[in-house]
Amino acid sequence: MTTVVRIIDLIKYYELGSVLVKALDGVSLTVHEGEFVALMGPSGSGKSTLLNLLGCLDRPTYGHYYLAGQDVAGMPDDQLSDIRSRFLGFIFQQYNLLAQYTVVENIEVPLLYQERRLTEETRQRCIELAELVGLGQRLDHRPMQLSGGQQQRVAIARALVNDPQVILADEPTGNLDTRTSEEIMQLLTRLNQAGKTIIMVTHENDIASWAKRVVRMRDGIVETDELNTPHWLRDGATVSA
Amino acid sequence: MLLFIPTVVVERGWRNIVLAVRSLWLHKLRALLSVLGIVIGTAAVIALMAFGEGSMQDALADIERQGATNIIVRSVKPPDESATQSRSFFAVYGLTEQDYERLHNIDTIIRDVPLRVFRQEIRYLGSMHVGRMVGTTQHYTIVHQTNPIAGRFLTADDEEFRRNHAVLGWTVAKQLFPLQNPLGETIVIGKHLYKVVGVMPERMPTGGSGGSQAAEEFNDDVYIPLSTCNSRVGARVFLRQTGSRSGEQVELHQVTLTVSNMDKVRPTADVVRDLLVRFHGPKKDWAMTVPLDRLDEAKRAKNRYKMLLVLIASISLLVGGIGIMNIMLATVTERTREIGIRRALGAKRRDITFQFLIEAVVQTGIGGILGVVLGLGIAIILPWLWQLITGSHLPAKIHEGSIGLSLGVSLVVGVLFGWYPAQRAAKLDPIEALRHV
Ligand SMILES: Nc1ncnc2c1ncn2[C@@H]1O[C@H](COP(=O)(O)OP(=O)(O)OP(=O)(O)O)[C@@H](O)[C@H]1O
Ligand SMILES: [Mg+2]
Repeated sequence: MTTVVRIIDLIKYYELGSVLVKALDGVSLTVHEGEFVALMGPSGSGKSTLLNLLGCLDRPTYGHYYLAGQDVAGMPDDQLSDIRSRFLGFIFQQYNLLAQYTVVENIEVPLLYQERRLTEETRQRCIELAELVGLGQRLDHRPMQLSGGQQQRVAIARALVNDPQVILADEPTGNLDTRTSEEIMQLLTRLNQAGKTIIMVTHENDIASWAKRVVRMRDGIVETDELNTPHWLRDGATVSA
Repeated sequence: MLLFIPTVVVERGWRNIVLAVRSLWLHKLRALLSVLGIVIGTAAVIALMAFGEGSMQDALADIERQGATNIIVRSVKPPDESATQSRSFFAVYGLTEQDYERLHNIDTIIRDVPLRVFRQEIRYLGSMHVGRMVGTTQHYTIVHQTNPIAGRFLTADDEEFRRNHAVLGWTVAKQLFPLQNPLGETIVIGKHLYKVVGVMPERMPTGGSGGSQAAEEFNDDVYIPLSTCNSRVGARVFLRQTGSRSGEQVELHQVTLTVSNMDKVRPTADVVRDLLVRFHGPKKDWAMTVPLDRLDEAKRAKNRYKMLLVLIASISLLVGGIGIMNIMLATVTERTREIGIRRALGAKRRDITFQFLIEAVVQTGIGGILGVVLGLGIAIILPWLWQLITGSHLPAKIHEGSIGLSLGVSLVVGVLFGWYPAQRAAKLDPIEALRHV
């Protein structure tokens, strides 16, 4: 199994005046290709901080981070941007689509920042991804014209466009109702079954139960790290295509 | 590979321009208002350049008409004459035949044309036109750069034999011979008969702004040989006025001198002035016009416009630039989240800088274009309105270079004042930017 993410003794401290906040206090974690990890833990336990570090949006105070074999912990800003645009896919709680762009254009954004030209081919790929997440009929719609669930689908398509090593999702269903959450989780599960590595932060056990591995955090350290049988496998049901 | 990378850059630039237009479109009114300073600055550049250029060209055309190498000396009735010499029956003043001889002998002068001018009634059969009877010589056409459109001008023979030949100005010919060819017909000027030998074309009046010279209208003239004129009209001319009779004695009304070349015009003018001062003393009964002086005057006018232009343009472009900077700072704050998203999805700092810089430049560029349109509008409509209201001519000539210049300047303003906000945007921390509501 290929190792996608490997972090060793990751430490992130924030200095707030005289107070030292230990957001991460020595976290080690290895994620292999094809895994679906749920990061859980109480509020303030450091889940988002960890996800931001995994997403190369931030640099650790100490520790190592190997992403697809590259040591990215000490990389300069421009190189981190490059890593993000080529190896990572992001899904946010707030969907975070760009208001000026249509659905297809939003999906295209990560490609804008790669040193490559946008062609008919890449445009076609964006359209296919929109179809994959069930928005083939709404290619030219703006985010404002879409529901929350639809916006999150666009965000998922966007996270796929650069064929990332790992998809990072911070509470992807946090703003959605139960039914829509379920649809989104089905979509993520299908992607995982197709081989995508996913690391997802969540508060809810229901959501975490879709994952194949659950990591629980507390006060900046990993409390438990155990394999999980996704609920739909337990029930003997299958994910509808 | 060499071709590949620039295409990426060009495409990226184009995408950023499209993005900028879309982002601005979300706040149309705001974008328009913030760019007002640029609009006014650019419009000022275009309009003032047009007026400066226009007055310059006007002056050049005027100089061309009057002859750039000409010096015009005229008799002027001194203002004190009538008051102090009220006893005197005749007002004696102006240029004399002797003056003419002296001027004639200046060696830089290659040609000279003396003129006597009288207001006269010109008649043909039943029609009458009041115009100017001008006694002159055959060189008139050369010195004043005009040629008859029909027939011929006066000749040396006309002068020598004091022939009763006349050449009609355009309006005179039109008035007296509306339907008929005037050539060969006999007209009456004053009490004497003349045969029409030529007709002059319509001529533009000379500008009245040339120093002491009043605007001169040529289309009412009738030209006759100077010798004929002298024999018909003596040195003394009686003027009938209500109650009293007065008269004046003017030997020559005007002498137009042509100098051999442009560089000698000023020195020659100095010589002419010295001569006239020497022989006329303090009596200011003559005036000299050097059309070339109009050039300096026009240059000064153009410089005045230029200084005004630089002042207005730099103030409004500064204000405009600050307006852009202000609005771009607001935009960056408003779109912090967008910046965070783009950074998370792989945008480098320079991509963000580029994006907002382009947006600023697109904004000032649009402002520049609007300003050019406004400036052109002013340069076209204002002279027309001016003509309508005051009846006088406001020269304007659109200067193509000014369009490129002002557009260029507005783009530069965009870069200069967009730089700081774009840098601010690029320096934002991605995580904090993403957390921004
Ligand atoms: N930029 C920052 N400056 C200072 N302290 C920070 C910063 N970011 C996070 N922290 C602190 O680090 C700790 C971990 O925060 P983090 O956002 O990772 O928690 P979380 O597990 O994601 O919580 P939640 O479930 O509420 O999202 C918290 O105590 C938080 O206050
Ligand atoms: Mg969090």
